[in-house]
Parts: sequence; C-alpha cells; structure tokens
Amino acid sequence: MKRFIFLLTLTLTAALTAADNSRPAFVMHWNSDWKVAGALPEKVLLLSLQGLANRNTPQLYIVHPPEFQWEITGPLCSFYERKHGVKFTEIKTAHEALTHFSKSAQGYVIWDPTVPATMNVAFTIAGLDDALVVTTALIPLVEQQGLKLIDDLRGRYTGQTDAQIYTDAVARYWSRCTHDSIMLMGGHVGAVRIPGMADWGVRQKMFFHDLSANPKHAEELALEKKLLAALAPGSIVFGWHSYGKDTEEQHTTLLSGYGLKMEGLHSLPNLSFNCQFSFTPGFKFTNHHHVALDAQLKAESKVYLSFVQSDSIGIGVWTKPGRGQIPFAWQVTMNWAKFSPAALEYFHESATPNDYFIGGLSGPGYMYPNHIPAERFPLLMKEANAMMAVLDEHIMEIMDNSAADGNVGNTDLTKETVDRYYAAFPNVIGFINGYGPARTRDLRDHRPMISYDYYIDPRRPRAEVAADLNELIALNTTRPYFLLVHVRESNDVNSLITITKQLDGPTEVVPVDVFLKLAASQKTYTTRYQDPADPKHFKGYK
Amino acid sequence: MRFSFALFLILPLAAFADSPFTGRWRLDHARSTALDGWSTCDLVITVAGPRVSLQHDMQWHSTQFSATNTVDTTQSVALPNFFRIEQRHMALYPAKGGVTPVRASWIDAGRTLRLEAETPLEISQGQATMRIYSEYRLLEGNTGLLLIELHSSRPQPLVYRFTKVPESK
Repeated sequence: MKRFIFLLTLTLTAALTAADNSRPAFVMHWNSDWKVAGALPEKVLLLSLQGLANRNTPQLYIVHPPEFQWEITGPLCSFYERKHGVKFTEIKTAHEALTHFSKSAQGYVIWDPTVPATMNVAFTIAGLDDALVVTTALIPLVEQQGLKLIDDLRGRYTGQTDAQIYTDAVARYWSRCTHDSIMLMGGHVGAVRIPGMADWGVRQKMFFHDLSANPKHAEELALEKKLLAALAPGSIVFGWHSYGKDTEEQHTTLLSGYGLKMEGLHSLPNLSFNCQFSFTPGFKFTNHHHVALDAQLKAESKVYLSFVQSDSIGIGVWTKPGRGQIPFAWQVTMNWAKFSPAALEYFHESATPNDYFIGGLSGPGYMYPNHIPAERFPLLMKEANAMMAVLDEHIMEIMDNSAADGNVGNTDLTKETVDRYYAAFPNVIGFINGYGPARTRDLRDHRPMISYDYYIDPRRPRAEVAADLNELIALNTTRPYFLLVHVRESNDVNSLITITKQLDGPTEVVPVDVFLKLAASQKTYTTRYQDPADPKHFKGYK
Repeated sequence: MRFSFALFLILPLAAFADSPFTGRWRLDHARSTALDGWSTCDLVITVAGPRVSLQHDMQWHSTQFSATNTVDTTQSVALPNFFRIEQRHMALYPAKGGVTPVRASWIDAGRTLRLEAETPLEISQGQATMRIYSEYRLLEGNTGLLLIELHSSRPQPLVYRFTKVPESK
C-alpha cells in the first residue's frame, strides 16, 4: 500500500510539474569562500533566505563552483532549464537577493560567530519564525528591507558549553520544530564552515544542532539521545556529524540504534529548491540491466572484477573523465526520489550503458544494519524495496562501519543481520557489503552476498593499486575468483582503465549485476559473518 | 691475539650489545612505498644476543597500534601474531590461530638482517600462505635503514626507508 501511495505521489507530482513549465526562478553563482572571517556570514544569510523564499515555490537556486564537493549544481541548473522550462534570472549580490525575497521573512535573528553553536540556534529560529540569520555587520543590509529584530543571540550563550546552549535551545524551540526530521549541522569546524544544507532545514522547520555522538562528550550525547528518541519512527537525520567532535562511524551507529536514517552531507545544496520538482512527465527509471532477475549465468575459469562507487553519485567520479568506458556501478542515494528527483533523473538521463545503478546504503538511507533494532528492520527495508522498485534497481548495497576505523577495519555483518537482509529482499540479484574491504560472504537461493576485496584510495599511486590487485589475484588461486572493488569518490575512471591493463592472468571487468550472477553460479568464496572475536574499533553504545 | 682478530671478523656487527640497529627508526614517507591504511610507521629495533626484536609502532588517524616480531638469528621461531606492514585496503587478514615460522640471519658482515617468513592469511577463498623475504639493510653512516620486502604473491617489492630518531627525541 505504501509503495502504491509512493508511486501515486510521484505520478501526481510529475503531472503538476508539467503544468508548471516555464516557471521563473532566480540563480546565484557562489564562490568557494566559506571562511567564518570571510564570506560565511553572508552565505548563512542567503541560505536562510533561500529556505524561506523556497518554502512555497522554488524561487532561488545556487550554483557552486565546479570544485565544490557537490559538483552537479551547474549541470542540474541546465537540466532544470532544459527539462522543466525554468527561466533563471541571475542575482549577483545579497542586496539584490534581499530585494527580491525579503518579503518571505518576518524579521531577522543575530548570531555570534565567536560562539559557533549560535549559528545553528539561529537557523532553528529562522525556520520557526521566518527570520533571516545575520551577524552584526549584516544588520544594516536587512534593515534596509524594513525587517525588524526577532531575536538576538549575542551574549546569551557566551561562556556556555554546546551542551548548555543546545539544552536551552531544546527548551525554547524543540516543541515547535518538526519531529519527522532533524538537522545535524556539523561538518567543518573552526575557520571554515559549510552549512550548505541549511536552506532545507529552515524550509522544513527542523531543529539544528551539532551535538556529539562521542562518548567522551557525555552531556551532548545524552541530549542527542533524547532528541533522537523523540523523533517519529523512521525519521531522517539530515546533515553530517561535526568533524571536530566525533566520527561518522559513531554518529551513524547512534542514529541507526534508533532506526533512523542519515542523509548527508551538511554541504548538500538546494534541497529546498530540488524538492519541489518531480520527474518529467513520462519519465520512468530504466536501469541498464545486463541480466534478467531470473537469469542463470555460468562463470568461466578467470578473474572477474567489478567496480562500484558508493559515496553518492552526486560526489566525484560522475563528471570525471572516462565514465562510460568500463562497466561501473553507482550506489544511488535512494531518498533523493523524495527530496531531489530531478537530480536522479539527471543522472539517469546522462548514464551510459556502462553505468549501472544499485540501491543503498544499507536501506532507505544511510544506516548501520548491525545496530538497527530488530523490530524496525522489516518496515525500513520495505521502504527500501519500494524505492528500489521505483528506481529499477536489483542490487542492495550494505555498509556497516560501526566497528571500523574510517575506511579500514571491521566492516562485517553479523549472521543475524545477513539473515534479515535475505528475508527482506527476496527479489534482488544479490547484495554487496563493505566500504573498505570486508569478509562477509554468503550465497542463498542463487543470491550472493559479496564483500569488497579491495578499496581504491584515490591518493594511492596507480602502480601500487595494480600491484595490490595482482597480489589478491595471486593469493586467491581458485578460478573463478570474484574480485569486487570499491572505488572511492574522487578517483577517475580513466586511471581505472589503466590499472585494468596491468592485471595478471585472464581477467574480465563485468557489470556488477553480471558479477553477482556469475558469483551465484560457482561459489569459490567462503561463507563468513562477523566473528565476535574480530577486533572492533568502536563497540557501540550498549 | 690473532685468534681474537679472527673472531672479530666472524662475529656480526649487530651481535654486539650496542648494535647500530638498536633504536627507533622513523619511516621516510617521501622515499618509501606508499603506506595504505597507515599514516605513520616507526620501527623500534632491539638486539640482545641472537634475539632481535622488531617493534612496529603504527598510527592511523587517532588509532595507535603496536606489534612486535621477536626473531632469533640462530634458530627458526614460530610467531603466533606475526605482524607485517599490511596494505589495509586489501582483504587479506592474519589467519585466525595462524602461526608464522620465521628464520632470521645476519648477512653482509652484520649490516643486513635477513628474514624469511611464511605467514598464513585469511582470503576470500579461504586461506593462503604468503612467503615474505625481507632485508633490513643498515646504510652508510648508520642513520638510515632500508627495508626491502618481497612477497611471493606481489610482482614488485615494497621498499621502506627509515631514518634513525635521535635518542633525545
């Protein structure tokens, strides 16, 4: 039923989109200056303005420089013009932007850059009270538009810890915020901050914070646990953890324990704009499948390699040279079907026959499945199944770094977790596991679960990458050998092609759906799950 | 007297208590094979008679890890927790319960420590053995150490250059 409603929503929104063709909108081209002592305050003001201006209709879009982590903002802007008939008018200054959109705001709130948490408190107020977020220096700019002071955070929190500041903010604002999502506005700390996702949080009236999931920060952790427990089941945590307080592994472990989904990064731009467009009329996701769901292949006596990128297709490799020259799988951020459908359509439209999309990450959002409460698992994966059906995806990628240390260490799944996946996804070709290398492997009902045997660090010299792969080939002597490779976001495909030409023995690079079908035909890999005796970098919160 | 002089020639340099191998050696990243999954590497060598202790102090972000291989230049030893500077983005793991036989000897008049190890590994297809041939070569001036490591499974050697850390640091 939920799947039906989801499909119906997409169809209706597509129909509405058709009626909205040739809508006007405005675009700003931003630079790369996110320094707190530089252009950050003005960007913070504009992000709050964007969230308010886009609350009811998509009016303001930001194009970032090509070197910005989300490098698709330019191509996506062209896509809106071409496929949705959006006529963009360029806005060059903050003053000009305020002239156009200040009526979206009721007033302004002042934050204090010397107390970093006040930026997040101010964003929360912005969403709730339709306020623009300014520093002292920017007050004249907004008062020129006739806007009045709503709140002033200068001095209120001076000398307080983040735990104290957010405790006060929870008392003041939490009850009025949405409880379907929350904004973890962490990421960069110190001289540079990149709250690119703030427009979305403002639009949706989210509570902003950067509380720590590090057990060393007991007060912050306790407060965040209270907030996560108060969210509606299946809610989404938008943003990203604070690079200065905790780790991605700690934070994702924490929210997975509440059955919540992570959707990052903190820098992801334009969701307040993107969420108001759906797929173009008649568009339907058609993945470049190379085998049918029920096909049976027979592996030959050789080494099969397959390449996968899982760091969200909006980052990195997609626009790098060489894409399309070899088979390559892309893990799709499936929730974009809800928040950024045009971006997904853009990727599908520009996909070559060698680009293949897979579901993930671990479910209907970024989660660590070893920590998802058993009672939450079936419903979450039902949601994931529905999105995979819409996106025409036949493979689920899983990642659990809860016990890992960055991209090394223990990334394995417990047998209980593996059992749950096999039960929840009866119609997939198979599963992929890991981020760095992992050793969870299985084969049930012709559906393999294969972990990465290698992770390509973009900084590693290509000759060493080729030597590493040749060493794996030399040690795994049984043929066929199934060598699954995870490609870190900022690698480029051309360098992978060079590497594949340096490999020893009979090798073949195949699409990942073919890879899994071949792996189903001859099990030359062991069955293995997380061993309780395996070292764990982080043992979790229980 | 002639006997004593002959003994001096036979006894390896490193066998003396104050062996120039002894001490902390720091990896020179720029002149070494790229580490993978480790950000720093110190090698702490202790020579005590025929026993040579090779302590690896490794770091990856905030993770600090130390592992020691103690070998004997007069006989083969079996090490249950043999450590190699592994490439951590490869699915190669020490085999659970595996024991690595290691032979060590002084060559080049005591200026090179040679190690030969056969270490059992867990691989995705089960288990395999990697033969490792290593030479720890003391460089002229005794402030540089060159480690050349050859794997039976790797087409090219791993070459690590270390610089001696002065004791005061």
